[in-house]
Amino acid sequence: MKLVVKNLKKSFEKKEVLKDINFEFEKGKIYGLLGRNGAGKTTFFNCLNEDIEIDQGEFYIEEENKKRKMEAEDIGYVLSTPNVPEFLTAREFLKFFIDINKKRIKDLKTTDEYFDFMKIEKEDRDRLLKDYSHGMKNKMQMLVNIISSPNVLLLDEPLTSFDVVVAEEMKQMLKEIKKNHIIIFSTHIMELALDLCDEIVILNKGVLEEIDKNNLDNEQFKNKIIEALKEE
Amino acid sequence: MIETFITSFKLKNTYRANSIIYSIKQFPIIRKILPNSLYKNRGLKIFANIISIIIELISIFIGKLLYVAIMIFAVLSLYKTNKADTFLHIFTFLTLCGGVLNTYMLNPTKDKYYAIVLMNINAREYGLSNYYYQLLKLVVGFLPFTILFGNIAGLPLWLGITLPFFVLSIKLIVMNYCLYDFKKTKKASNENLPSKFVWSFVGICLLLAYGLPVINITINQTIFICVFIVAIILGIYSFVKIHNFNDYRKMYKQILTTSNVYVIQNNSGTQAMKNTSLNQIELDKNYTSNKSGFAYFHDLFVKRHRKILTKAVKKQSVIILIIFVAVIIGFQFSAEFKSKTNNILMQYLPYFVFIMYCINRSSSVTQAMFMNCDHSMLTYRIYRTPKVILGIFKERLKTLIIINLLPASIIGLGLALLLYLSGGTDNNLNYIILIVSIISMSVFFSVHYLVMYYLLQPYNVNTEIKSSTYRVVQAVTYFVCYYMIQIQLPTFSFGIAMIVFCILYSLISLILAYKYAPKTFKLRI
Repeated sequence: MKLVVKNLKKSFEKKEVLKDINFEFEKGKIYGLLGRNGAGKTTFFNCLNEDIEIDQGEFYIEEENKKRKMEAEDIGYVLSTPNVPEFLTAREFLKFFIDINKKRIKDLKTTDEYFDFMKIEKEDRDRLLKDYSHGMKNKMQMLVNIISSPNVLLLDEPLTSFDVVVAEEMKQMLKEIKKNHIIIFSTHIMELALDLCDEIVILNKGVLEEIDKNNLDNEQFKNKIIEALKEE
Repeated sequence: MIETFITSFKLKNTYRANSIIYSIKQFPIIRKILPNSLYKNRGLKIFANIISIIIELISIFIGKLLYVAIMIFAVLSLYKTNKADTFLHIFTFLTLCGGVLNTYMLNPTKDKYYAIVLMNINAREYGLSNYYYQLLKLVVGFLPFTILFGNIAGLPLWLGITLPFFVLSIKLIVMNYCLYDFKKTKKASNENLPSKFVWSFVGICLLLAYGLPVINITINQTIFICVFIVAIILGIYSFVKIHNFNDYRKMYKQILTTSNVYVIQNNSGTQAMKNTSLNQIELDKNYTSNKSGFAYFHDLFVKRHRKILTKAVKKQSVIILIIFVAVIIGFQFSAEFKSKTNNILMQYLPYFVFIMYCINRSSSVTQAMFMNCDHSMLTYRIYRTPKVILGIFKERLKTLIIINLLPASIIGLGLALLLYLSGGTDNNLNYIILIVSIISMSVFFSVHYLVMYYLLQPYNVNTEIKSSTYRVVQAVTYFVCYYMIQIQLPTFSFGIAMIVFCILYSLISLILAYKYAPKTFKLRI
């Protein structure tokens, strides 16, 4: 399975944010999306999530050489600012999410098993989400997105609000689930990208390009990425 | 201090000019033509600056003019008491109300937030200089009108001149008290969330202001002069205290929290803001739901928002019942009242459009739906699939209609009962028309607000309204309903027309919602 993006363009008024995006994302890999502030990473995610209309081009899923539209079920988007319905408890939110995704969840577990998997403490499970901390909300957001198991998982700076222990757990978890997903991970932290991601993709001047590691060691690779990002 | 004041004045002017340009850009067609670079266009900036200064100048006088003319002068003729004394009387008590409700200094405005919190301007210099400026504006703004209207009411000129200084003294005294309270308790009070004590004080003052003249009691000039002299002395004392107070920074840090400032910013026109919305969530462990899927989701939403949903409607219903009972009791005492009511019921049905508009909860409920629910859920792509959107839409529609139906059916039945008790009608159909038309109005508003919300979803992720169309629709709804007040039509024909309109409108808008909501119901970027 592949996510194919072809000639995608998006402008705001006269500013061309995404000029011509062409890329194929493959299943089983974590892509680290790097870009400078304002490069258009979030815009790119918003386009794929159909939050905004694209001006030109297309994106679709390719399975066994067959092209099909990317459906809502195909995509999960974890935002850097967590978004959870504050009037529900964690357990209720989870139940609702499982309810509406029931048909697609392969090995359905109990809510407590999911909470255990995400290491959410017992006493927190029946609290209102409005009383959750930033990091805890983020955990919930991540959890429901993992449960619904979308083919494409977009993560926008997801680890920055976690403490070091949780961040490490999340990294492990992403590595575990990656074989069945296309994960695109946007971040500003180079070490994280190098450590976690299989491919490094940079968004610069409205174009997406892959940076090959070839035979470079980490330090050389880092420099190469920075040079690429600096290009004006 | 003067330097700080000039800086802050410039700052205020700059963002006021920017917001003028911003609002120009909000108009649907103009938005497309004007580029973003607008903000650096010199000519336009100067234009916006001039408008901003004009607004400032007008604001000095307009508010005071309306206040003196409407709140005081216009009501004089209602009383049999001496006009000059009544003027003085109402002015004095309203000044006490205004004194505790608006101190200027403790009002958490955006200006203060930007200057003190974001730009780190010296809080004491900023607070004091702007406070003095406000006080100056107050005296200058009041002076012409207290002299003019005071004169017409029969007050001597010198007394008209003293009135603004009385207001000034009261403001200073209250402010000084607030500072004293802050020193003692270390807690600064946000004046936009007045305590129960403040509200009761205001209530009593209002009662004294407008109530006493009814029973022919007012203060006279001698009493006022005594009060005035005391106020001036305390005012001067307070001024010295305020001027020498040092802890403004600490105080402002407490008042100018983002939540306070944001409530103000968004309160224009809307009440259920993000923070207040969050406070509406009640967790009661006894309330759970046996349903599943979106019915479950929505059920919990309703149960956790009883404060603004069921509870509010029940309160409304009780008040409506009390009014009906009062009217029916009134029938026993006056035959004239009876025949007038009968006439109103047969001629003034359009008036009830406005009443139904006012009591309909849908507008604030859809707002809470966004703030507490859709705001976060819309970021999930799966939540935006047609199946989920329409599933939840259906649940919400049912709830809104049912909730608003309770007071509506009480009004409908009540009106029919009043019609019967006040002498009846030649055509018995009128009873049914009253009931059905009131109910269909209620359904109409429920459908209207929900469909508008789904078709125009006006909010962005920061819960700001980004759709000018939505604003226009809201305004048009208001004006149409308001316009109805002036219309007199026979209940029979208007009622039938209303019923037909409501049914057609609801059908068409529901079809539109089913067709387009899956596309339009998303966060504004």
